[in-house]
Amino acid sequence: MSRDHQEYEENVGAYLLGALPELEAEVFERHLETCSGCRRELEQLRVASEALPRAVEPVLPPPELKEALMKTVWAEAAEREEARPKRRWALPRLTPAFAAAAAACVLAIGIGIGIGVSQIGGGGGKTVAALVDHSRAPSGAASLHVPGNKQNALLMVQGLPNPGPGKVYEVWVQRGGQMQPAGALFSVGSGGSGSAGIPGSLKGAEAVAVTAERDGGALKPTQMPVLTVKLS
Amino acid sequence: MRVAQGGDPRAFELLYDRHGGAAFSLAYRMVGTRAVAEDIVQEAFLSIWRSKVRYERERGSVRTWVLGIVHHRTIDALRRHLVHERRRASAEGIEERLDSGELTDVEAVRREEAREVRAALSALPGEQSRVIELAYYGGFTHTQIAELLGEPVGTVKGRMRLGLEKMRRELTGATA
Repeated sequence: MSRDHQEYEENVGAYLLGALPELEAEVFERHLETCSGCRRELEQLRVASEALPRAVEPVLPPPELKEALMKTVWAEAAEREEARPKRRWALPRLTPAFAAAAAACVLAIGIGIGIGVSQIGGGGGKTVAALVDHSRAPSGAASLHVPGNKQNALLMVQGLPNPGPGKVYEVWVQRGGQMQPAGALFSVGSGGSGSAGIPGSLKGAEAVAVTAERDGGALKPTQMPVLTVKLS
Repeated sequence: MRVAQGGDPRAFELLYDRHGGAAFSLAYRMVGTRAVAEDIVQEAFLSIWRSKVRYERERGSVRTWVLGIVHHRTIDALRRHLVHERRRASAEGIEERLDSGELTDVEAVRREEAREVRAALSALPGEQSRVIELAYYGGFTHTQIAELLGEPVGTVKGRMRLGLEKMRRELTGATA
């Protein structure tokens, strides 16, 4: 126990409760390094201070909080991935599913449209690469992360051209062959990167698609999709 | 559980799913407005994601660690510029509390823990529970509390320490 223990021991409670101003807290932390008596008391009383948050009445956070948080997280994860020497979505895994999807896509969409499908499973969710119309977006790539419960999927794009003056990209969900607005609009930055959270569930959805539409969005797509993510 | 820090977004999502509710509840209890609580929780979780703070297993559970980060950030926010914002707390009145119909087994256990902690707090002499609540949930410093209560700083710090010691005994069943 240090010689100045008595001077500092009264700070233990205030420190644990966050009641010491920053400078005093730093001084106390330095004292803790040399005072076993204060360290011992701190560890004992921590049981009580750490119980305090448990006394709080539970309040539901809004779903938008998670959406915003995960949007940032997925975007940053994509940036990190991009910064690596090899881009995962530039080199989709060649699996039987990929081959079948690619063949189907060639038949459905025709020459001039770039194709790439990869699924990164695990944890119940999946990430699906998009089929991009490379005649309009030569360096475009995109992937859709669909959580295990199919709620609040996140679309991430890169290399898309600017949608044009007064226009934004609009996300569509295809069900029963019909395109419905997903309620998600997005623009892209200078590198063509962007992301969009898709509110609600993708249960029963056949595909997610993106078109450039007038600012504010449209009720029906006015052009062929610049990218499509097949889900079934 | 594995703690997601700057790694797998799915592991991070799981971390939020498990502890985001408790984090939001704590921040909301402290600042009293949903918008400010949302900002704080978002900042706190992003700091975890960006690995600016590290989880040390020896310092306790992941939940305790997350709530500690949220508590520090909320105190910072309160002391920086949000002190007056929270005074409008009572006017907001749009809380969405979990009702008993939504309780899972885990949540039911947490409710029971909450009852125990509240009981330990309310068993303290009023002057001790007051300083603890003003400090922990109110984000006030010991000098601010001393001014509010018109008591010497040494008395306030002493009550905090004594109060925590009594709570510890109450919660752990330890004897003096």
